[in-house]
Parts: sequence; C-alpha cells; structure tokens
Amino acid sequence: MDFLFDYISVNTFWTILSIAHALLAVALLGALTHQAAAVLMPARARSDGGFVTHFRSVSGPRYAGAVCVLWVLAFILGGWIYAKYRIYVRIPIEQEGFFKTLGAFELKEHLTTIGLGLLPFYRHLWKSARTAAGERARKWLTVVLAAICWYAFLTGHVVNNVRGFGL
Amino acid sequence: MNEDNATATSRFGCFALVFGVCFAILYVICDMAALPLFTYHPGTDRIDAGFVRPRPDEGPAMYWYGWIASSALGAGLLGALAAALPQTLRDKIPLALAWVVPVVLLPVLLYSLKFYWRWE
Repeated sequence: MDFLFDYISVNTFWTILSIAHALLAVALLGALTHQAAAVLMPARARSDGGFVTHFRSVSGPRYAGAVCVLWVLAFILGGWIYAKYRIYVRIPIEQEGFFKTLGAFELKEHLTTIGLGLLPFYRHLWKSARTAAGERARKWLTVVLAAICWYAFLTGHVVNNVRGFGL
Repeated sequence: MNEDNATATSRFGCFALVFGVCFAILYVICDMAALPLFTYHPGTDRIDAGFVRPRPDEGPAMYWYGWIASSALGAGLLGALAAALPQTLRDKIPLALAWVVPVVLLPVLLYSLKFYWRWE
C-alpha cells in the first residue's frame, strides 16, 4: 500500500476509506429499509398509489444478495478503519470525556458483528423460505437487520461529527 | 417432518441458522469473558495469541478482531455439528431464534458496556 502515499497523503487515504465506508452504508441502509418496509407493509397495488406505496413495493428477494454484499463490504472497510479509529479517534474522544459516544460506537461494532453472522441464514431465508414459520423468521430477521443498520449509520454519523475527518 | 421448519431442514439452512445464533451468543460471551483468539496492538502492528493486556508505551490493545475469530470458529464447529444431525432433529430447531437471539442479547450488550453510560 505504501506506493499510494507517493500520490496522496495518509490523511487523504483514510478519509477516502471513511467516505467509501459511509457510501456503502448509505446503499445498505436504502436497500434494507426498502426491504423491511416491503415485509412489514406489503403493497397490494403496485402500479397505483403514491410514494409510500412504491417505496414498499420492492421485490424483497432481489435485494437480499445486494444486502449481503454491501454488509460484508461495509464491514470489511469498517474493520480496516477501526484500527486507526482506536488510536486517532477513540483516544482523543476519551480525553474529551465523551464516554456515551464511545459506548454507542462500541454497541454499533457489536451489533454489526452479530448481524454479519446472521447474513447466511438471512440469505437462505430469502432464497428458500416457503412456510409460514420461514416467512415470519424472514420478516423479523430483515427488520432486526434494518434496525441494526439504522443504529450503526446514525452512530457512525455522530462519531464522525464528534471527531471529524483528517484530524 | 414438521412443515413449519422445512426451511431449516436442508443441511445448509441448519448450518446457517445454528451458525448465526451461536456466533451471536459466543461473541457476547467472548466480549464479556475476555476470550479473544488473538490480540492486535495497532500501534506496533503486533499480534499476540489469546488475551494480552496493552504493553507500556505501545498504545492500546484491540480484542474485537480476536472476538470475531473466536466466535466464528466456535459457531462454525457447532453449525457443522448441527448440520450433521438427522433431519428429524434438525426440524426441531425454531427458526425464530435467528431474530429473537439478537433482540435478547441487546440488553446484555448494553450491560456489558455499562462503563460508558456515565451521567456526569
């Protein structure tokens, strides 16, 4: 990786990674929110209706693969950035005494990790659930993953606001 | 065969369900009991096996990667064992565990982070 630093500064490199992580999170958030809306409030009419009807009219199965890929990519980038966060972000936030912010971020790491482990079954349910129990599990697992994603997104946003880029 | 559990009866479905549930539970146990497979010291790029406290003048120690490795290893083994069970037993694993377990673990995680919830 060192050859990159002939062209960009170290700060720019980590800023690019953080922005890529955030963009992946935005895409994941959109996909999971559409999917969760579709399983919680399935739309009856696809062609008629307004914004909300169209928002929840997506085909859930089509999103499942993308959700898994986006979650894994966002997780890998987040895990990579996490080592730098531990030294250059967390320590200054500790020194400022923002402990609840740190706790919220730790919870985000825990929840996204648990979500990662559940992705194979989530994918399996979207691919092959044919029974009432399977559809129930698929519905609520999707909602849980969407809730984790929303929490992680908002917490990451708050921590970024506390510390900022390139400091 | 219990029709309600037909989704988990495939060996992969059973593996994925047991892996996901056990991964979540083992991850929380590894976190609370300090059981990482390895410790990473980001200041020096050093990796030590198991749980190692931060070394003086070498910055903090990170256990998160080690917790993930420990829990993935354990969950992988348990998932493989579950997938090898006969179908009649595989049918009995409730699919709802996939979403109930993370919800139940949330208050445990909040408690494990009690150090951070300071109102001062």
